[in-house]
Amino acid sequence: MKTDMSWLNTFRQSDLTHFEQTSFPSQRLEDWRYTNVSAIEKKQFALASQIEKLDDNAKSRLAAFTLNDCYHGIFIDGFFQASLSTLPESITVCSINEAATLHETLLAPVFNQAIESPHGFTHFTNAHFSDGIFVCINENSQLDKPLQIIHFATQEAMSATRHVVILQNNATATLIETFIGVETQTYLTSSVLEIFLRDNADLTLYKVQQDSDKAYHFGGTYVQQADNARFTHHNFALGSVLARSEIISHLETGAQCELNGLYLGANRQHLDNLTRIVHAKPDAVSREYYKGILNNRARGVFQGRIVVDEDAQRTDSQMNNRNLLLSSDAEIDTKPQLEIYADDVKCAHGVTVGQLDEKSIFYLQSRGIDEDHAKHILTFAFANEMVDKITVPSLHDCVFTQLLARFPEGAER
Amino acid sequence: MLKIKDLTVNIGTKEILKGLNLNVKAGEIHAIMGPNGAGKSTLSHVLSGKSGYEVTGGSVTYNGKDLLEMPAEIRAREGVFLAFQYPVEIAGVTNVYLLKAALNAIRKHKGLSEVDAMDFLTLVKSKTKALDMDEKFLYRAVNEGFSGGEKKRNEILQMAMLEPQMCILDETDSGLDIDALRIVADGVNALRSENRAFIMVTHYQRLLDYIKPDFVHVLADGKIVKSGGAELALELEEKGYGWLEQA
Amino acid sequence: MSANNDEINNLLNQDYKQGFITDIQADTFPVGLNEEVIAKLSKVKNEPEFMLEYRLKAFRHWQTMPSPDWAQLKIEPIDYQEISYYSAPKSKDNGPKSLDEIDPEILEAYKKLGIPLAEQEQLAGIAVDAVFDSVSVATTFKSKLHEVGVIFCPISEAIREHSELIKQYLSSVVPVGDNFFAALNSAVFTDGSFVYIPKGVRCPMELSTYFRINASNTGQFERTLIIADEGSYVSYLEGCSAPQRDENQLHAAVVELVILKDAQIKYSTVQNWYPGDKEGKGGIYNFVTKRADCRGENSKVSWTQVETGSAITWKYPSCVLTGDNSVGEFYSVAVTNNLQQADTGTKMIHIGKNSTSTIISKGISAGRAQNTYRGLVKILKSAENARNHTQCDSLLVGDKCGAHTFPYVEVKQPTAQIEHEATTSKISEDQLFFCQQRGLSAEDAVSMIVNGFCKQVFKELPMEFAVEAQALLGLSLEGSVG
Repeated sequence: MKTDMSWLNTFRQSDLTHFEQTSFPSQRLEDWRYTNVSAIEKKQFALASQIEKLDDNAKSRLAAFTLNDCYHGIFIDGFFQASLSTLPESITVCSINEAATLHETLLAPVFNQAIESPHGFTHFTNAHFSDGIFVCINENSQLDKPLQIIHFATQEAMSATRHVVILQNNATATLIETFIGVETQTYLTSSVLEIFLRDNADLTLYKVQQDSDKAYHFGGTYVQQADNARFTHHNFALGSVLARSEIISHLETGAQCELNGLYLGANRQHLDNLTRIVHAKPDAVSREYYKGILNNRARGVFQGRIVVDEDAQRTDSQMNNRNLLLSSDAEIDTKPQLEIYADDVKCAHGVTVGQLDEKSIFYLQSRGIDEDHAKHILTFAFANEMVDKITVPSLHDCVFTQLLARFPEGAER
Repeated sequence: MLKIKDLTVNIGTKEILKGLNLNVKAGEIHAIMGPNGAGKSTLSHVLSGKSGYEVTGGSVTYNGKDLLEMPAEIRAREGVFLAFQYPVEIAGVTNVYLLKAALNAIRKHKGLSEVDAMDFLTLVKSKTKALDMDEKFLYRAVNEGFSGGEKKRNEILQMAMLEPQMCILDETDSGLDIDALRIVADGVNALRSENRAFIMVTHYQRLLDYIKPDFVHVLADGKIVKSGGAELALELEEKGYGWLEQA
Repeated sequence: MSANNDEINNLLNQDYKQGFITDIQADTFPVGLNEEVIAKLSKVKNEPEFMLEYRLKAFRHWQTMPSPDWAQLKIEPIDYQEISYYSAPKSKDNGPKSLDEIDPEILEAYKKLGIPLAEQEQLAGIAVDAVFDSVSVATTFKSKLHEVGVIFCPISEAIREHSELIKQYLSSVVPVGDNFFAALNSAVFTDGSFVYIPKGVRCPMELSTYFRINASNTGQFERTLIIADEGSYVSYLEGCSAPQRDENQLHAAVVELVILKDAQIKYSTVQNWYPGDKEGKGGIYNFVTKRADCRGENSKVSWTQVETGSAITWKYPSCVLTGDNSVGEFYSVAVTNNLQQADTGTKMIHIGKNSTSTIISKGISAGRAQNTYRGLVKILKSAENARNHTQCDSLLVGDKCGAHTFPYVEVKQPTAQIEHEATTSKISEDQLFFCQQRGLSAEDAVSMIVNGFCKQVFKELPMEFAVEAQALLGLSLEGSVG
């Protein structure tokens, strides 16, 4: 299939030029002060190529993360696998390379419009993506089952995917992004997802990052929410040795944005989460709740910023970040920010780092549970509170299984 | 069952309990009344083993053992149960899980095997029903988003499940409307038995209309200043606490 | 709401009352900065050789440093060659030996500022060091303090007479190359206060320095060094003001506090430099490095600041909590109006075990001003059981201003407990209506609410300063219900 993708290639070319000039971001940039990505450059990954077939081990790993009650769009090393995917027929959905010609009128006007403050990883992804998914849900339509987009890495290489999702007025959908790889494989996965929610559209998005423990991960989600659009995100950072997740959302009048996140770091994992919610117009509401547990030598980073523009009167915004350190070699760096240019606002943020609530420990003890067990229960519960928010049953079970594996002693079985 | 002798307790450098004496036998219900700041909550916390209190003198013997030596969870396993005035909310831990973990910890302590999952479920459902609670509560996080009445009912549910010997009710009536109070009281009354004792700490006589005590003690300024039968509570209701302090 | 906003603005928009110019003869260096200027400065001040070396070293280092990155601030580049680095009132001698020798105009200036220096009028219980442009003109109660061994004198005098203490402690908290302005200050500082509280001494009175910029085209580079030896205590107050001038003036100070075992320093500031006019013309650039080193066990420092003046404020009074059980506190009210910009906050560096810190920051932003809290809480691995509690609240008055909160929390110790909370809000109509319904005028209601908002900080100020601070906010406490 030979298609004319010249408009897309123009974008690619411009991002390639940027990337060649700046490469991956340095720690001198404020948004990257806690995360050193020079290891990625040292690896000198080649770009991944399309593989012929999966071996049994890879097949079973893919199967383990393929959710039974969803549609699937499957990418292996960044390449779309039409034969493995089961895409819904009721909506417009196809690979982004196809969409570039088939749906140029939908895609071209929005492409790159949601990306705020681009940097090395967004340039890299735009320049080198092999493929991605394009989803467009028509006005007043609903996607009947969640669509799961699986990114599966098998090669010691770097791969990039680029997705665009559009929900027209009053459309509703649930999407799941899953990032996995062949266990112990070293690779870089870089993915950029742009989301456009038109008036009153409603999107729930889950992201489960369970890349291999030697992998490098970048995932950026950039959202535009038109009037009264609702966006709910659940972000689980569980895998990879170095991961950076970004969610930036831009809210128009009356929009609602809810960001939930859980990062569980162990060994030498470095998990960086950047979020930015921009209240551009009045009456929007945002709620953000991120939690982290850091064990061994793991390091967690939370950088959350709420921006309230001049016009955004009657903004209601809350951000909360809570962290537990379980080891004397673990570290958390957290940076919750409020940047406010309107006066009629209610904004608050809170951060805690530290031990479990003493009152809760005593309560459990007074019911006969010993202190150690009480702490295990509460640590598990600390994380489980976020897992419990998952309303897709098969996904809940999948993430809950990961949680059990991390904290078996406090688990509720 | 419980013998408190000359108990003195400090919070920081401030003396809160100043030589308290109390004997509780199996089957008895004791009401401890008193004005705010008399040390009522301190007494319930010290008996259940909360940290932050310094016992400076006296002793507490429970079934012949030194209660104050035991960590909080051992007291619970030995049968001391505190129904909290302000039950904590614990996000992410379901009620049913807490009940199961607690029940098994207590059973293990007694040398019993863990409870069978089906038996447990049958048991917990029947107890829930008896307290007029929706089963859904069992699967919600401990006390999270519960109303004041629901929290107190949840405390009684735990008490019913764990079958303690020595129940301490700390201001259980506070924040309850009449209907909720009646349900809580019925729950407590159903648990009355000859080998179980109750200490009810309360500011008002109201609760005692529903749960009839055998003894009423007035705690003022860290000591029990007067003891009597159920009629003492009525007298307090009428006259307030002022006349005792002058005495 | 707009009517109410106007009233709030009226309250905040009172004229700058300290904007007068004192007409005196002064010795002022020509503008410009090079090694010769520094040598001349050192010579004029009669300094020992080691100070000249110190200054030149700092200057050479400064020349290698890039201008700072301004983060949230909008600022025109500063031409450091267009500033005069020394201006002193003319006197017969090197300095006045007694109050009689001080130019009566200067005495009058301080009197106008509410800081009488004449013996019979001195503020009871407060010893004052008065710094006028580049020199200290008077220090009161010196001899009384001397009786208990407290040294309180201009730092230029300390350099000559207590050089051992200077050699030991100067730049021991803020190294010469710490930042651009600290380096510049080390090269060219002219005066400031020096305090030494000996072991076990509780300083019998409040110590205070009042800084006044008078001359035009000068920068004020003052240096303060306070040493609290083991088991001692001192409360130190700092005030400042400047005339209303159309050009910006630079004030780049360095304050170093050294707190040894069981000692405590309470440092309070009411900063009221000229903020510029309503169009943003003129005003002081206030770039200050303040740092306390709690070196000993159980040492404690508390910074309290009320920042109402300056066109631009850029300061982060910091606490290095080295000693076990050491305590750092930071209480701040920062008010910005018109085109003022404030970027202020604190750094709490926890090194010692059980070290605790508290941060209470209240920002009020009005007009077209930008008010930023920027703070760092850093818990090093050694700081077992460290505790921090931070509360940052912002109040917005009017829809053209900005309020920003940029905390950084870095924790490397699992037993540490950190709580940070921040809120941003405006005075709600409900609050105003409630007060008005109870019979208060809107003005009183606003006054009450703003004072209530700042109360946690005001209660940390010594009495005299609390009164001044409230007056500065232009708010009366009358009708306050507490």
